[in-house]
Amino acid sequence: MRRGVQVADRPSDESLVRMYHVSKSYLAGSWALRDVSLEIGKGELVFLTGPSGAGKTTLLRLLFAAERPSEGQIIVCGRNIARLREGAIPALRRRVSVVFQDFKLLHRRTIEENVAIALEVVGTSPRAARGRVFQVLKQVGLQHRRYHHPLSLSGGEQQRVAIARALVSEPEVLLADEPTGSLDPDLTIEIMDLIASAAARGTTVIVATHDVGLVQRYRKRTLHLEAGRVRTDAPDTGASV
Amino acid sequence: MSRLASQLRSFVRTALRGLRASPLTTAVSVATIAITLVLIGSFVVVVENMQGMLERFGEDLHVSLYLEDGLSDAELEGLAERVETVEGVDAVELVSKEQALQRFEAGVGARTGLLEALEENPLPASLEVTLLAARRTPEGLAVVIESIDGLPGIAEVAYGQQWVETYARAVALVRGAAFGLGAVLALAAFLIVANTIRLAVYARSDELEIVSLVGGSRTFVNAPFLLEGMIQGGAGAALALVILYALFRLLLPGFEAGLELLVGYAEPAFLSPGGMLRIVLGGAALGAVGSAAALAGSWRP
Ligand SMILES: Nc1ncnc2c1ncn2[C@@H]1O[C@H](COP(=O)(O)OP(=O)(O)O)[C@@H](O)[C@H]1O
Ligand SMILES: [Mg+2]
Repeated sequence: MRRGVQVADRPSDESLVRMYHVSKSYLAGSWALRDVSLEIGKGELVFLTGPSGAGKTTLLRLLFAAERPSEGQIIVCGRNIARLREGAIPALRRRVSVVFQDFKLLHRRTIEENVAIALEVVGTSPRAARGRVFQVLKQVGLQHRRYHHPLSLSGGEQQRVAIARALVSEPEVLLADEPTGSLDPDLTIEIMDLIASAAARGTTVIVATHDVGLVQRYRKRTLHLEAGRVRTDAPDTGASV
Repeated sequence: MSRLASQLRSFVRTALRGLRASPLTTAVSVATIAITLVLIGSFVVVVENMQGMLERFGEDLHVSLYLEDGLSDAELEGLAERVETVEGVDAVELVSKEQALQRFEAGVGARTGLLEALEENPLPASLEVTLLAARRTPEGLAVVIESIDGLPGIAEVAYGQQWVETYARAVALVRGAAFGLGAVLALAAFLIVANTIRLAVYARSDELEIVSLVGGSRTFVNAPFLLEGMIQGGAGAALALVILYALFRLLLPGFEAGLELLVGYAEPAFLSPGGMLRIVLGGAALGAVGSAAALAGSWRP
């Protein structure tokens, strides 16, 4: 699924993520995001690029309701999350998973327990959860490490655990903020391939990165941010970078 | 297994893991609650015992109206009927001079020569008044006495011992002190629990962040902490009961002797099962309220 700047001619009900004239200001007078409009369809893989401070993290945080927009509307999975009440945020987050640069794993829990948290919060029975966790760990190639603790794993393996936790609940949207930012280059491809495979299975994936080489390798739609504005929205290439 | 059951299991597991993760703070919190409840509980034991004696006294509380000499039988009957209509009076028994003498003799037994020496029966006729159960308190008694006193033909009103009123005041005083002290102590225990849970929330902030990120509801985040508070409170209360019972057995001989001296009989009782249950529930509630206070405003998605 690919598209150019002319977003308007796409049937919008196919879009899982939509932003209309979204602006975000943390401090009066300065804009972290300014008048951003975009539509991202189901199963699409989109890169979000731009220099440090361009607003990539802010854009992702708006999408999982960690921040509220100062202006504009945001529709994710059919909900207007600009106006989401606090009590409805958990339900949104069960459909929108996030992967971070620093993995955010619990060091005192096993790999299996770390992944199972995402199922525990919806009350999945322990037995059903075990089976599903095993399946996802196998998908990321870590089923044999399920009783280990995160700190006994390499950085790349820890990020695979975080991806397994993000995917175990079968989310409709997967957000990744610099997912390979703290990994060796040879692990970068491995992790990105895993994230891309989620898009291939129908999950909408948005990856924020400043790694130009990575973006060029995948030749996917790329939104380039600068100073809080979308400078280019290019299909298929990282050419705008 | 149902969804609710597995959620509950997960709450309990998380709560127990939380308690184990910081054994020292948990121990301090449980000990504080225990000490608090030992102090409150010993007041409850004392008040319950004092109250028990007051009730036992109340059961055989009655008023004797000694009548003037020289009243005719009709006048006696009339007076008895009059007293029977007084608000709070249950029953009236007329005891004639002769009956009074017989009772006296029966009571004194063999040493009856005393009265035979007298030419005339010196004992007055009396009306023995039983009060309605609800009036068998110093206040109820006072109201009844006021309505009776001053009726023509009554020479003297006698009731209970003077100490009953003093004693009832003492019970009220001890109970008031127990409430006051209990409130202060409960506040202290509440603050300690709140602080313990605040520390636990802080220690688990990474976990809370992740639970919130993967879509854990506020209930899912808070329930284990509430459970932790309740477990601490309940455990503290159970410990308090054990300590209280040990103290009770230890101090019983002295307690008994003191009561014997004061009221002539003693059957000191430990807390009733209901009282014990109230203390355990009170401890758990204290823990829950403490953690609820710590959680208020601590959770942001
Ligand atoms: N919590 C915050 N408070 C104030 N300013 C912030 C906050 N988060 C981000 N910013 C500012 O918003 C702008 C965009 O930041 P960010 O979204 O983190 O960019 P990126 O992820 O592209 O590096 C930056 O100028 C940054 O300083
Ligand atoms: Mg960033």
